[in-house]
Amino acid sequence: MATPPLPRIPLALPGFEQVRRSWNDTHEAYAARLLPGEYYVTLNDECVYTTLGSCISACIRDRINGVGGMNHFMLPASTDANSWKSTNLSAATRYGNFAMEHLINVILKNGGKRQNLEAKLFGGGRIMQNMTDIGMRNIIFVRDYLKIEEIKVLSEDVGDIYPRMVAYFPATGKVRVKRLRSLHNNTIVEEESRYIKTVEKEPIKSDIELF
Amino acid sequence: MKNNIADLLKGVDGLITLPHVYIRINQLVEAPDSTMADIAKAVSQDPSFTVRMLRVANSPFYGFSSTIDTVDKAVAIIGTSQIRNLALSMSVASTFAGLPNNLVSMDNFWRHSLYCALIARILAKQARRCDPEAVFTAGLLHDIGELIIFNRLPEQAHQSLQLVLDQLDEMPVYQAERQVIGFDHAEVGGELARLWTLPPLLVECIAFHHSIERAERYPREAALVHIANSLAQMAEVDTLETEDVTPVDPLAWEIAGLDEEIIEQVIREAQAEIIETEKLFFGK
Repeated sequence: MATPPLPRIPLALPGFEQVRRSWNDTHEAYAARLLPGEYYVTLNDECVYTTLGSCISACIRDRINGVGGMNHFMLPASTDANSWKSTNLSAATRYGNFAMEHLINVILKNGGKRQNLEAKLFGGGRIMQNMTDIGMRNIIFVRDYLKIEEIKVLSEDVGDIYPRMVAYFPATGKVRVKRLRSLHNNTIVEEESRYIKTVEKEPIKSDIELF
Repeated sequence: MKNNIADLLKGVDGLITLPHVYIRINQLVEAPDSTMADIAKAVSQDPSFTVRMLRVANSPFYGFSSTIDTVDKAVAIIGTSQIRNLALSMSVASTFAGLPNNLVSMDNFWRHSLYCALIARILAKQARRCDPEAVFTAGLLHDIGELIIFNRLPEQAHQSLQLVLDQLDEMPVYQAERQVIGFDHAEVGGELARLWTLPPLLVECIAFHHSIERAERYPREAALVHIANSLAQMAEVDTLETEDVTPVDPLAWEIAGLDEEIIEQVIREAQAEIIETEKLFFGK
C-alpha cells in the first residue's frame, strides 16, 4: 500500500531556515529540533523540541493568536556569581537577556501582543553531581527575567537531577516533557559544553538590540 | 569499516576475565561427583568473596530466618547453583572496570543494571515459574555488551546515543546501534556470555533481552529481563509513563503470564530496595 504523501513543510519564518525540521508521525506535524544556542518561532501548527541538561528553554506564545516559540540557552560563567543581581549588567546577564529578547521580539514582530504572552520553563537540571549547580543559575535568571517583563509563567519543570526532552506546540501551548536516563548525561553535557565554549569565546559585541 | 562482533570480542580479550572464584565454583557445580563441601571449600579460598557473600546471605535481600555464620551453612541454604550466580553477580562490576568509557559513568551504568536485576527478581517471584535468583543475575548482566561497544567503538556508540537524542519519539538504544553499527549490545553481550560459557539461561537472557521471540530454552526468563529493562528505566527517572522508556513487547507480558497492572507496585518496591542492594553488591 502506498503511503500518502506527507503534507508540505510549512514555510519557516525568515532567519529560521537553518533549523532542522522533520515530519513526526505520532504528532502528525513537522517538528523542529533545537540545538543549544538556537531558537525557533513559528506561526504554524508545528512542534519544536530539544534536549536539555543544565541549559534552559523558555517556551513563549501569544495565547490568542498562537504565534510562539522556544529558545535553548545557558548563561556563560561569570566572575561574580551574583552579578545578575547588581545594576551593572554582567556579560552573563547580557547573554541571557539577548537569548530571551530574541525569542520575544520575533514573536512580537510576527503578530504577538506583549499582554497576551504566556511562558513555560524547562531544564536547568543538575545532571553532574560533582559540578556546581549551573542549572539553578539559569533557572533563577529566567524566572527573574519573566517577572520583570511581566510575562506569566503557566508551568515549569526545572532543576532536579534529570536531563529532559521537551516538545512544545506553540499553536496550542501543549507541551510534553520526558525525563531522560543517566545513560544520556555525558552526551548532553558534551553538547552543552561545546556550545558554552563558543559563547564564552565570542561575547556579544554590541548592546542588545532594542525593538 | 565493517564491524563484526568476533573482532570486537578479540579486542577485549585479556581486559576482562571471569573471576577465579566463579570459575572454580562453576567447575564444581558442573562436575557430577562434587559435593557441597567441595563448593564451600572453593568459596572459602576467596576470603573477600566469603565475607561479602555472608553479608548478602544475612541481609534482608534473602531474608532467611536463621543466622548464616559459616560458608557450609550458606552453601546449604542458598544452594550450589545459586552460589555460582552470586559469585558472578558480586564480581561483575569489578570485572568490567577493565573496560572504561567516556559515555556513561560506571555508577550510573550499574545502577540501571541493578534496577533491572531487582525488578526481574520481583517479577519472577510473581510469575512463580522462574528462578528469581537466576533472573536477578541475568538482569545484572543484561547490558554487558554495552560496555564493550562503549569501550571499543566510542565514536559509533556516541553517534548511536546522539541519534536517540535527535528523535522526538522514543528510539531504543539498541535500534540506534543496529542502524549505526550494524549490530546491538544484546548481540555483543550474548556472544561474550557464550565465549565465557556462562549458563545457557544467562546467555539467552543477555542475547535476547531485545528480541525475546528468539529465545529457545528460556523464553520466560528472557521475557522477564526484557520487561525488567523497561521498568528499570522507569524506576530510574521516577516515572509511571510507559511511553517515556523503551517499549515492552506485548508478547513478553503474555509469555511471563503477568499483567501491566503490577508496574507501579514493582517499581516502588525496587526503588525502596536499590540503595541497600547497591551497598551489598557493589560495596558502596
